[in-house]
Amino acid sequence: MSARPQRVTIAGQDPQTVDAKASSEDERPADAGAADTPPAARAAIVGAVGSLDRDGRRRVEVVIDGWRFEAIVEDEARAALRDRASRDRPDAMAAGGPLEIRAIIPGRVVQVRVTVDDAVEADEALLVVEAMKMQNELRSPRAGTVARVEVAAGMNVEVGDLLVVIG
Amino acid sequence: MTVSAPVLSVRKDGAPPFRTVLIANRGEIAMRIIRTCRDLGIKTVAVYSDADADAAHVAAADRAVRLGPAPAAESYLRADRIVEAALATGAEAIHPGYGFLSERATFARLVTDAGLAFIGPDADAIDALGDKLAARRTAHAVGVPVVPGTFEPAATDRADAVEGIIAAAERVGFPLLVKASAGGGGRGMRRVAAASELPAALAAGAAEALAAFGDGSVYLEREVRPARHIEVQLLGDNAGSIVALGERDCSVQRRHQKLLEESPAPGLTDAERATLHEFAVRAATAARLHNAATAEFLFDEDRRFWFLEVNARLQVEHGVTELVTGLDLVAEQLWIAAGHPLDDAVRAAAARAARPTAHAIEVRLSAEDPAVAFAPAPGRVGAWVMPAGPGVRVDSAIRPGERIPPDYDPMIAKILTVGPDREVAIARMSRALDEVVVTGIQTTLPFHRALLRSEPFQTATLSTAHVDLYWDGPGERARHVAKAAQAAATAATAATVAVVATAAAVVTDRAPAAGPAGAVSLRTDDASTTQWRQRGRDDATDRWPR
Repeated sequence: MSARPQRVTIAGQDPQTVDAKASSEDERPADAGAADTPPAARAAIVGAVGSLDRDGRRRVEVVIDGWRFEAIVEDEARAALRDRASRDRPDAMAAGGPLEIRAIIPGRVVQVRVTVDDAVEADEALLVVEAMKMQNELRSPRAGTVARVEVAAGMNVEVGDLLVVIG
Repeated sequence: MTVSAPVLSVRKDGAPPFRTVLIANRGEIAMRIIRTCRDLGIKTVAVYSDADADAAHVAAADRAVRLGPAPAAESYLRADRIVEAALATGAEAIHPGYGFLSERATFARLVTDAGLAFIGPDADAIDALGDKLAARRTAHAVGVPVVPGTFEPAATDRADAVEGIIAAAERVGFPLLVKASAGGGGRGMRRVAAASELPAALAAGAAEALAAFGDGSVYLEREVRPARHIEVQLLGDNAGSIVALGERDCSVQRRHQKLLEESPAPGLTDAERATLHEFAVRAATAARLHNAATAEFLFDEDRRFWFLEVNARLQVEHGVTELVTGLDLVAEQLWIAAGHPLDDAVRAAAARAARPTAHAIEVRLSAEDPAVAFAPAPGRVGAWVMPAGPGVRVDSAIRPGERIPPDYDPMIAKILTVGPDREVAIARMSRALDEVVVTGIQTTLPFHRALLRSEPFQTATLSTAHVDLYWDGPGERARHVAKAAQAAATAATAATVAVVATAAAVVTDRAPAAGPAGAVSLRTDDASTTQWRQRGRDDATDRWPR
């Protein structure tokens, strides 16, 4: 099967289009690290490979030289189609819909600094979560009004748990 | 190679120091203590929280007692429950490991009051050394140079004392540090560049110290920077004999937490080494210390040593000293706690300590993201491959698929290497780190690989500012993005090809031998029908953030 161009989205990076190689022709890893990087550190280690979701996307975990990446991979042609479809719809995000803030690390809520109806600025601290003996402030990604607070001090949260909704 | 032969810490009479020992800790240090107990023929009792019910240390011990829910305050810090567990299981002694209750005098007292042996310095020594001001006074009184600063708590609660404090600060010199007397891990610490910043720093430091330790006493200490952090391993018996077993350089730190340690400290002359060891023994003798402890010093640009503090417990990095001396420090701790004098092998190692004939390095692998200021990165481990081979030791309690709980310290493994000299130890560590594979969580592995390759480390130009000066985490990570995207696209395509091949096989009712290379091993992912395959898939899904 010939490999089709894939769109790869890695958290914190712009999506990029990549020509996938069939696994059998995976050649020697090239220049990921410095020239003196040993081969073992240069090789890409594929971790968890998720199954295809309904939108044709697949999550893939890759570790290179100790760096862990979570990527979402989809067929570029299909992704482009979806892009066009969504451009024709009014953009929900631009309309300023409610923004759900979820836990990005598991831990214990030590402090909640906002209550419902509070006005918050972008980058304002919402709550403090303690994980591994360190206190981590969670800040609001944008200005708005606190619509819901789903946690209280002392509660344990897991990754993905809903913490606060900014309206 | 001139590494000393391992010393079997079994005395000639054949009886172990204790019949049963309870280990009041978790993770790699619990495993490490259990291993020595087994070597000596001692039965072990583990304790655990609900987060650790399936942990390696629970499985490795002869018996295990549940302490309570995951938070340390409700489990590993429950001194009463731990002593109860020891009494209920017939343990004769308790080893506290490091962290948790290891340096709490009240716990040591509770243990001995219950008629059990506490494996470590006694309550009086912990009291005397846990107060850093008291430790400074003790060392100063016997002529050991301490970092210039004050010896009494600053009167932060009295407005009329401000002038006196500022005068004291002028004598100490700027920049200086406001430090908590009960401190540790950098808490309660404030850097002060000029006199005008002092009142605010004192108030903030005292408030933080009060919140963290229940004691708001703070004092002033000159900032010695650049400096190397060098510490001396001490072992003392109940008769008052104390020896130094060499030093460790722990200069590579971030947030006052060590990232790598090595022994001996590179570049010291034999005379400097002997002086340092003598300072440490003198301070420890004045503090009436026994069992295992560590005296910490700063080493400045003018090659002067300054006493910092004594840690009255086994250190995380004790393994590098073990690799250089050939001793098992936990075994020696057990013999000392059982009332035995320092062993001949210990005295012989101490006599060699100023002229070491081997070099060892330890790397602390942590579940932290070195691209995001070493932020904690707990989660579920996928693949877990640790190094092996000549001169390599790994202390860990992690198994593949294990969940790293967010409730405790992020350190997940200590990787140690040893060789006849520093060059060989570094070569072995570089090789060992290349063998490491961890998926599922981000670790500090990229930082350690880069550190080992870096010129400042290879030439031993170490300082506590190393991470700030040389580490560019986001930049290092960014260099690998393109390749990661390529690998992800390839893996995703291969997985899709595998499904197509399997589906074709089902339709034609023939074996999928005609599928492309690699498809056979991958097809289990998507074509799972049996129960164990489903379970494997559930485990894989569990690794993804929901």
